[in-house]
Amino acid sequence: MQHPVFINKRSVSVYFGLWALIMGVHFSVFYFIYLFPIEITIGDSLVNNLFFCIIGISMWFVVRYSVPDKKNIWNVVFNHVAFLTLTLVVWIGLSITILNAVFGNNKVYGELLLNTIPNKIFTGSIYYVVIALIYYLYIYQVNLQEKIKVESRLREVLKETELTMLKSQINPHFLFNSLNSISSLTITDPAKAREMVIKLSDFLRYSVSKGAGTFTSLENEISNIRRYLEIEKVRFGDKLNFSFQLEKEVCAGHQIPVMLLQPLFENAIKHGVYESTEQVNIEMDCEYKDGFLELKIVNDFDPEARARKGTGLGLNNIRERLRLLYKNDQLLKTSVEGTRFIVLLSIPSADNIEKNHKT
Amino acid sequence: MSIRTILIDDEQPAREVIKYYLKDFEEIEIIGEFSDGFTGLKGIQELKPDLVFLDVQMPKLTGLELLELLDQPAQIIFSTAYDQYAIKAFEMNAIDYLLKPYSKDRFAQALLKAIAIIGSGQNSPAPVQKLVKTLDENPEYLHRIAVKSRHKVSVIPIEDIVYLEAEGDYVMLHTKDSRHLKEKTMKYFEAHLDPSRFIRIHRSYIVNVQFIDRIEYYDKENYAVLMKQGAKLRASTTGYKILKQMLNM
Repeated sequence: MQHPVFINKRSVSVYFGLWALIMGVHFSVFYFIYLFPIEITIGDSLVNNLFFCIIGISMWFVVRYSVPDKKNIWNVVFNHVAFLTLTLVVWIGLSITILNAVFGNNKVYGELLLNTIPNKIFTGSIYYVVIALIYYLYIYQVNLQEKIKVESRLREVLKETELTMLKSQINPHFLFNSLNSISSLTITDPAKAREMVIKLSDFLRYSVSKGAGTFTSLENEISNIRRYLEIEKVRFGDKLNFSFQLEKEVCAGHQIPVMLLQPLFENAIKHGVYESTEQVNIEMDCEYKDGFLELKIVNDFDPEARARKGTGLGLNNIRERLRLLYKNDQLLKTSVEGTRFIVLLSIPSADNIEKNHKT
Repeated sequence: MSIRTILIDDEQPAREVIKYYLKDFEEIEIIGEFSDGFTGLKGIQELKPDLVFLDVQMPKLTGLELLELLDQPAQIIFSTAYDQYAIKAFEMNAIDYLLKPYSKDRFAQALLKAIAIIGSGQNSPAPVQKLVKTLDENPEYLHRIAVKSRHKVSVIPIEDIVYLEAEGDYVMLHTKDSRHLKEKTMKYFEAHLDPSRFIRIHRSYIVNVQFIDRIEYYDKENYAVLMKQGAKLRASTTGYKILKQMLNM
C-alpha cells in the first residue's frame, strides 16, 4: 500500500498545508496572546511542528505494520506505546535542547520551556493519536474498496457460470431418442430423415451458440422451440400437438433471455407427452401489458401420472435466472386447472427495466 | 421353430427400427406391438411371447415396473436411450440392453444371444452379480411402486404409503385406504426407500414418518408407534432409538 501522503501532489500539499496551518495557529497564540518576541515565536513554532510533521510521515510505517486483528491486538498496543514514548522523548528532548540553546537568554521563555513539558506530552500524544487514526481510517477505506471490488467481480463470475450451467442442460435422453428416430426415418422416409437432421442441427446450434446472459427476440426463441417440438413430434406422432398465438406487432420483437422458454417446453413434453397415452396439446400465447411481456404456456397432462413428479428443478432454474437478470422473483407463476398445467411468465421490457433502475 | 415376439415402445419410429432389423431373422414372428406399460403388461400376460423388446421410459408404467409385475419371467431385451437403467436391467436378468440408436450388428448380437437362450430352453441368463453390486452402492430411492391386484395394476406414489409390513416372503404396503401385497423383501425396501422419510422400527415394520401420530409406552422397554390412520405398531429397542434420533425427541 502506498504512503497516503505521497500518493500525488495534492496529498503532499494537503499534508504540509495542514502543518503550516498548525504552525500559524501556534505562532499566533505565542505572538498575540503570550506576547513573545517574533523571533522566539517563529523559532518555537517551527522547531516543534516541523519536527512532528516529519515524525508524522514516518508514523505511517508503524501503523502500516501494526494493523490489529483478533490475535495481535496487544502487539499493536505495545508497538504504539513504544513508538509514542520514543517520539515524545526525542521530540521534547531535541526541541528543548535546540530552543534553549538559541533562545535560552530570554528568561521567561527558558522557564516556560521547562514548565510546559507535561503540556507537551499531552499535545504530542494527541497529535500522535490523531495522525494514527487518520492512517488507520485510510487503510480501512482502501481495504473496504478492494473488498467491494473483489466481491462484485465474484458475483459477476458466479452469475456467468450459473447462467452457463443453467443454459447447457440439453437433455441427453432427448438427443439419443431423436437420433434413434432419425435412424428409423432413414429406413422409412430418407427425405424426412435429412430434414430432421437439419432441424436437430439447427436446434443444437442455437442452444450452444448464444452467450450466457444474452438476449434474443421472442420470435427467435419461438422458432427454436418450434424446431424442438417438431423433432419431438416425429417421435410421438399425433400424441403431440402444439400451437402458438403470437401477435406479431406486439410480441415478436421483444427481447428475452436466450433459452429461457426451452425448459418450460421440455417440462411440458416430459410431464405431458412422456407420461400420457392420450393426446397432449401444448399452447402458448402472449400479450404486452404495463411494460411486461406476459407469456402463457399451457399443456395437458395425465393427473394419474402424478407419481412421477419432477423435482421442480427446471422451474427453479428459470426462477433463479429471472431473479439474477431482473432482480425480481415474482416473474414465474404456475397453476393447475383440471388436467391442464399453466405457466405464466412476465418478462419486463427493456424500457421498463431502465425505468425501475432510475427510481 | 418360431420365436413369438412382442415390441413395447411408446415411440413408433423406435418400433420401426426393431421391425426392420428383425426382417433378417426368419425365426422371429412379431405377434404384438404396444405403446405403453399397461397395455404392454397385458399383452405379455395374454400372448405369452418368447421374447420381448422393452423400452424403459414409457407412460403409465416403466419397463422396469412392468417386469416387476410379471408372473412368469419372459426373455427381455431392453431398448432404451438412457443408460442409467442398464444396471437395474441386468439385475432383472435381461438378455441384453440396447442403447438407442444401435447398429444392425449390435442388434444381431443381442438377438443371437436371445435365440441361443430360448433355443436351449434355459430359463434366464445368469445374473450379472458385479453390476448388481454397483447398484446397491448408488441406491436411487423409489418414488413410486407398481402393484397388481387380481385384475388391476396400479402405481402407488411413495408419499401415499403409511407403512410397510412383513408378510412371509412378501411385503404388505398399507396406504390410507388400501393394502397391496408386493413380492419383495423388507430388506429391499429398507435399502430403496428414502431413509429420511421411512424408518424401519421393527423386524416387521417400516413406517412413513409423515404419518406418525404419536409414540406410546407399551410395556417394559417397548414402545408402540400410532399411525394417523389408526394402526398401532410395535417398535423394537433399536427401532425406537432410530425414531427418537430422527424426530429429535
